[in-house]
Amino acid sequence: MVDRMEKRRVTIVATLRNSIGAVVIVGIALAALVVLSLLLSATPLKTLRYFFLGPLQNTYYFGNMLNMAIPLIFGGLGVSLAMRSGSFNLGGEGQLYSGAFVATISALALARWGSAGVVVALFLGACTGGLLAGLSGVLRMKWNTSELITSFLVSNAVVLVVSYLIAGPFMDPATNLIATRMIPESFRFTRILEPSNLSSALFAAVIAVLVVHLYLYKTKSGYELRLFGLNPRFAAYGGIRTKWYQVWPMFLSGAFYGLAGGMAIFGTYYACMKEFSTGMGWNGLAVALIARHRPAAVIPAALFFAYIESGARNAMLHSDVTFEIASIVQSVVFFLVTSAVLQKIGSVQRRSI
Amino acid sequence: MEHALEMRGIVKIYTETGLRANDGVDLTLNKGQILCLAGENGAGKTTLMKVLYGLEKPDAGTISVMGKPVSITSPLQANRLGIGMVHQHFMLVDDFTVAQNVTLGKEPLKGRFSYDLKGADEAVDAVIRRHRFSIDATKRVGSLTVGQKQQVEIVKMLYRDVDILILDEPTAVLTEQEIESLFITLRALAEHGTSLILITHKLHEITAISDRVAIMRQGAMVGDFPTDSVDGKQISRLMMGQSVSLVVDRLPYTPVQHPVLRFDNVSVLKRNQQRPLLDGVSFAARSGEILGFAGVGGNGLGVLEAVLGGFLPISSGAIVHKDEDISRLDSHALRKRGLAYVPADRLQVGSALKATVSENLIVDARNEFTRHGVMQRKKIEAHTQSLLKTYSVKGSPSMPIGTLSGGNIQKVILAREITQYQDYIVFSEPTWGLDIASSRFVYERMVQLRDEGAAVLLISSNLDEILAVSDRVIVMYRGTIVAVLEAEELRQVTKEDMGAYMLGLRQQEAPHG
Repeated sequence: MVDRMEKRRVTIVATLRNSIGAVVIVGIALAALVVLSLLLSATPLKTLRYFFLGPLQNTYYFGNMLNMAIPLIFGGLGVSLAMRSGSFNLGGEGQLYSGAFVATISALALARWGSAGVVVALFLGACTGGLLAGLSGVLRMKWNTSELITSFLVSNAVVLVVSYLIAGPFMDPATNLIATRMIPESFRFTRILEPSNLSSALFAAVIAVLVVHLYLYKTKSGYELRLFGLNPRFAAYGGIRTKWYQVWPMFLSGAFYGLAGGMAIFGTYYACMKEFSTGMGWNGLAVALIARHRPAAVIPAALFFAYIESGARNAMLHSDVTFEIASIVQSVVFFLVTSAVLQKIGSVQRRSI
Repeated sequence: MEHALEMRGIVKIYTETGLRANDGVDLTLNKGQILCLAGENGAGKTTLMKVLYGLEKPDAGTISVMGKPVSITSPLQANRLGIGMVHQHFMLVDDFTVAQNVTLGKEPLKGRFSYDLKGADEAVDAVIRRHRFSIDATKRVGSLTVGQKQQVEIVKMLYRDVDILILDEPTAVLTEQEIESLFITLRALAEHGTSLILITHKLHEITAISDRVAIMRQGAMVGDFPTDSVDGKQISRLMMGQSVSLVVDRLPYTPVQHPVLRFDNVSVLKRNQQRPLLDGVSFAARSGEILGFAGVGGNGLGVLEAVLGGFLPISSGAIVHKDEDISRLDSHALRKRGLAYVPADRLQVGSALKATVSENLIVDARNEFTRHGVMQRKKIEAHTQSLLKTYSVKGSPSMPIGTLSGGNIQKVILAREITQYQDYIVFSEPTWGLDIASSRFVYERMVQLRDEGAAVLLISSNLDEILAVSDRVIVMYRGTIVAVLEAEELRQVTKEDMGAYMLGLRQQEAPHG
C-alpha cells in the first residue's frame, strides 16, 4: 500500500516536472503577446484586455472559443497518432478539407436517413482523410518515400481539387457564397451554449481523446504502434508487422483529420464553403506539438490555442490591432511551441548508469 | 610526481532511482600511465568517467587536472582541458569520411566560413601516420570494420590533442588481432606522455596492458594497485566480493539424432556484390546441444544472425525447421513458430530504450497478455515482477529500460527470450560487455536450456566462450564453413588451431555440420 502511494507520488512529480516545459512555453507566449501589443498598438491596455479577457467576457465568445478547439482536438489527435508511430503527417489541410467536403455531399445524398446518415456521412469523410494519408503510408512502405513530403504534396493538390468541386459541380446556385448546399436540419448537431456556435460535437471530441488514449496505452495494437515508433528495428525483431504500422497510423491520422472536417460542417458551418478550413490542419499540428503527442494533453493544448486565436480576433474587432499583427502574434506562439529546447525544460532525463 | 588527474570524493546520486552510483570515489592518474578501471556492471565505472568527461554533474567532490582544480560541465570543456573519451558505442557519422568525422566540431577553415576539405584530410592523415594507424582519412566511415571505426574514435581524440584519454570497454567489439594492435597503439601513446584510463573487466587484458589497476564495487573504490603487485584472483575477488570459478557444470553430452533446425546449402547474395555473404552453408542444430559458431568479424556470423532472425532473405538453399521449409518466413512468421533469439545489438535491436521494462519484456509474447485486443495490465505486471526476480534484474517494471545498466538490459532480453523458446534458441554475442558474474549467469542458462533438450545456437567472436560452452563448433571464414569440430576434436583443439581456421590459413575437407 505504502509502496503504491509512493509510486503514485513519484508519477505525479514526474508528470509535474514534465509539464514545466509546457508552462514555460505558455508563459513566454503570453509575455510575447504583451510586448507585441505595447509595440504595435496605440492603445495597448485596451488591446491586452480584449486579448486576454475577450474570449471569456460572455457566453458568445466563450462558446465560440470552445467551438474553435473542436477541430483542433481532432487534428491534434490525428497528428499525435502518426507521431507516436514515428510517421509525420503534414497533409492535415487537405485531409480535413476533403473530409469535410465528402461528409457534406454524403449528408446531402443521404438526407432521408436521419441520424444514421450522420454516422455514415462522418464515417465516409473520415475514410477520405484516412485514405489520403494512408496513401503516403503505402508509398513509404513500398518505395521508402518520405511520408512527410508526400502527405504534404498530396494535400496541396487535394485542396485545389476540392475547391474546384465546391466552386463547380457542387456549388449551391441559390447563394452568392462559393459553397455547397446546406446540409439537412436533421444532420446538424445541437447548439449547447446559445447564442454561441458551440455544438455537441464537443462531447464527440472529448470521447475521441479518451478513445485514442485507451487505444494507445491499453490495446495490443496501440502497444505495437508505440513500440514501432520508439524503435522500428526492435519492433521487427519482436515479430511486429512493421509494414502494417507504416500504413495504419497514417490512415488513422488522416481519418481524424477527416472527422475534424465533418464535425466542423455538422456542428458549425452546415455547408462546405470554399477554403473554410484554411489553417485548421496546421493548427492541429501545433496543438499536437504543444501536447507532445500525448492524447490526454491535446485538450488543454487545443484550448490554449483556441484562446490565443479568439483573443486575437477579439482584439482585432474591438481595438486597433490589424489582422497582420494578430497573425504575427500567433506565429510567435507557433515558433515557441515547436521549440524542442523549451519542451525539454524540467523533463525527466533518461540516463544509464 | 605531479598527478595528471586527481578526483577526490566524487559522489553521484541518480535522483530517479536514488541509486548512489558513485559514493565518495577517489582516483588519481600519473602522466603517461595506463590505468585499468575494473569492476562489475553497475559498479559505477562508467558514471565516474562520465563525471570526468562532463557528461554527468557530480553531487559532491573535486577534480584537478595537471594540479589545477577545475569544474567540468560539458564534453567540449573536457576536450579543452585535454580530456578525451572513446565511448563503447561509437559516435560516428557513417556517410562522412574519416577526416570529416575526426574534424567534426573542430574543422579546419579556409577563410572564415568555408570548410577546408583538403586541409582536414591532410591534418587527419598526419595524425594517422604519426601514430601508425591503418585507416585511410578519405574513406567513408560506413565502409570500415568495427576495429577501424574504433581507430577513428581514437584519432578523433588525438586530433584534439588530449593528454588524458578514457576508453570505455575498448576491446568489447574487437577481434583478437584488433585487440593486439590496439594495445600496441595504447602503449605507444603512453610513451608519448598521454595518460590512459581503460574501463574493462577482462582480467587478462588488465594484466596485459595496464601499469595500475583500480577496482570499483557498488559505487566505491575498493582497491588501487600497481598491476604487477596483484594477481588475477585478487582482482577478481575485489570485483566480485568473492572468488568465482569459470567452469560451468553440465550433464554429459548425448547427441540426439533428430535435427531441430537445418540449413541446406544456404547462400545469401546481395545484388551488385561479387562474393556471397553466405556461401553454401549447411548444418543441422540438434536438440540437446550447444552449437557454437566462431569466426572473425565480417566473415558471415552477422549475416547468419540476420538470416536466423528473419531479417535477411536467402538467395538459394533451404532452411528447415521440424521438417518444414521456413526459408521464406520473415521475423513475424518466425516468431509465431517460436523463434527465440538474443541479438548481438541489444540496444538497437534487442530493446526499445524509451519503452518500459514491461513493454520490452512482452514484445514476442504479447498475444498471451491480450484479451480481445486489450492488454492485461495486471497479468503483465505480475509476469514482469516474477521474471525480474528470477533473473535478479535491478529495476522495476515501469522504468524505461534505457535507465538500466547494460548488464541488466541483457538480463531482461535473456529472460524474455528464454521464456519464449520452444525448441531452438539463438544467442548472438550474449556476453559482450558483461562482467564475469553476468557472463557466468548467461552460460549457466545456456547449459540449462541444452540440458532441457533445446537446440542452442551460439554465435560468438569470443573464442574462450565458444570453447568453454559449445558441444560442437562450426568455424566460418568468408561466408563458408571451413571447419566443424565434434566433441572429441573440440577437447583437443588449441586456440592456435582455431585461429588458423578463423583466419583462413587452414580448412577441413568437406566440412559438414
